[in-house]
Amino acid sequence: MEYLFNQIINGLCQGSIYALMAVGYSVVVGVVGMVTFTHGEVIMIGAFAAFYIFQAFGNNLLLGLIASFSASWLIGMFVYKVCYERFFNAPRHISLICTIGVSMLIKNLAQIIFGPNQKPMLNVIENKFFALGTIQISLVQVIIIITVVVLAILLSLFINKTRWGISLRAVSQDKSASYLMGINVKRTAMIGNCVGCGFGGVAGMLLAIYYQTLSATMGSSLGMKAFSSSVLGGLTDIRCSALGGLCIGIIENLGITITSASFRDVFAFGFLILILIIKPEGFASKKGVRP
Amino acid sequence: MKKLVALGLTLVMGVASLTGCGSSSSSVAEKGGTIKLGVLAPLTGTNAEYGKGFEIGTKMAVDRINAAGGVNGYKLELEVKDSKGDQKESSDLARKFADDEEIMAVIGDFASGSCMANAPIFDEAGLVQLSPTASNPDYAAMSKYCFSIMGRQDGEAPFFSKYILKKYLNAQSVGVIYINSDWGKSCYDNFKKSADEVGLNIVETVNYVQDEKDFSSLITKLKAANPDTICIMDQGAVPQIINQVRGSGWDVNITTLGPGTSEQLIDLCGENAEGIYLSTPFFFDPADQDSMAWKDEFVQKSGFEPTVHPACAYDCVNLIAKAIEACGDGDVTRQSIRDNLANVEMEGVTGPIKFNPDGDITRKYLICSVENGEYVIKEGFDYSEK
Repeated sequence: MEYLFNQIINGLCQGSIYALMAVGYSVVVGVVGMVTFTHGEVIMIGAFAAFYIFQAFGNNLLLGLIASFSASWLIGMFVYKVCYERFFNAPRHISLICTIGVSMLIKNLAQIIFGPNQKPMLNVIENKFFALGTIQISLVQVIIIITVVVLAILLSLFINKTRWGISLRAVSQDKSASYLMGINVKRTAMIGNCVGCGFGGVAGMLLAIYYQTLSATMGSSLGMKAFSSSVLGGLTDIRCSALGGLCIGIIENLGITITSASFRDVFAFGFLILILIIKPEGFASKKGVRP
Repeated sequence: MKKLVALGLTLVMGVASLTGCGSSSSSVAEKGGTIKLGVLAPLTGTNAEYGKGFEIGTKMAVDRINAAGGVNGYKLELEVKDSKGDQKESSDLARKFADDEEIMAVIGDFASGSCMANAPIFDEAGLVQLSPTASNPDYAAMSKYCFSIMGRQDGEAPFFSKYILKKYLNAQSVGVIYINSDWGKSCYDNFKKSADEVGLNIVETVNYVQDEKDFSSLITKLKAANPDTICIMDQGAVPQIINQVRGSGWDVNITTLGPGTSEQLIDLCGENAEGIYLSTPFFFDPADQDSMAWKDEFVQKSGFEPTVHPACAYDCVNLIAKAIEACGDGDVTRQSIRDNLANVEMEGVTGPIKFNPDGDITRKYLICSVENGEYVIKEGFDYSEK
């Protein structure tokens, strides 16, 4: 039984990182209104920014968080300028293909600049353990879960309570109407995109801390997980995306418990397909959801 | 009418490509010219350290040979391609090499899986694929054009279970974690077979696929079986697994089969690597001047410490050079290189090399441990003689 609980905690921890990536993803998709394929690379850039900050200034988690957020923000601006800004009124597949191109560009540039080798990210957080009865949970896991929850709440407040958030939501619902309401659509879309990317970047840092390594090619499989988590959550709903990420994390780990890690993606994507068959709109309620 | 024309064109293209393939195996290297060798290496991805090692190891050998006036009047030239550790990518590149008449032999790829995927392509093209590192026992026998100098898994895995785990460490219960690939599967099968023979108790076995990042649930699973020693079978992901084992607060004996004396392992694991045990067919002996000089040159060119893998890549170029030399006054063709290579005997950086009839070699293994951030050879046993 304790074994099962430990696996659920593993799943919860991994799921919360997925959740953070998915939250970022759904902000991007919701606000800009386009599917992006650069999210994996944004995540990777966030991890590298934190890596270099830790090397230069010691293992300061807050500093790393700010660095990864802002580095990914900058990449978000670049992606926006290249892939979205000029193509607002063009068919959607144009910016879609464009994000694929930018993703390859960033990945290969990163391999040239950072080198193809894996890099270590050791002992950023002290290796301590807490025992809850027979269940063991490490300090890293606690910090990751807390960070994700805090960030998700902050984002939720930002989107729902602030003026910025209201214009973001307006843009995500109807671009021309918000334009008529006097909202600067382009700037709002850019900020939305950057906020989403920033969250991806922080997720990248947390992943690198959790796995203690990072590499230039780490993004591709992660981008896919972020995408499916947010599809599970209905693609544009932030809270449901977070729930989707958590579910995928836990399902994966429980699946591994029964079989082997070779089937990790079988469980993740099998679960996704199952949910989409039963409830095609994902976890989100149908009302108010726009593709 | 259009359909007919299309059909005609397709036929012409088909015939053209067929003849293209047919003629490629009969090309002859121009006397006194350059001979091109293809190199397949995972320059990017999880195994990038080893791929980079291939690139530099082979280049060192070619530079030395050319500086000494070439071989048999020919200069050597390398064409290095990045297979990304991906079998599909590797096969595409293999096909390119096979179709390129200038390529006389191919060195690579790194992983057994890629080499095995390429075997039928090279077999058809009559082109040598000399892998420095493939160790799946089935690989070399797949084609008479396939060779490997790493030694076979059915040599190393039994050595690991019988001698390192059973005799040297006296492990009572073992948990195994291996990569689910051609290499990993054969590694585990051979390990299991000999473990059963000597009565080594394997309490839990878990596996994962290439590019896995999160091992925490596998580690929890192993932990639940409570082994006193675990054995990790992989190359690229070994440091991550070690870190995650230690990160989960588990103080278990760690052994690893596969990475050799990888410097990246120590870099990526830091203190976590202390006290792990591994097997290697070869070690840079501080007492051996030639081997140390080779190591220094490698470090200077690459910026990192070599494992056995680049040393094997270096030996591979020299083996091909020997094969070209053995052609004597005759024509150097893909076929003549293959025929001579099968009979070459050489004392390489990694030790004596002589091919078995299948095209692979039998190696002796050493026990190695990490102490104070360095690899140390464990003395006081003579298992490898047996």
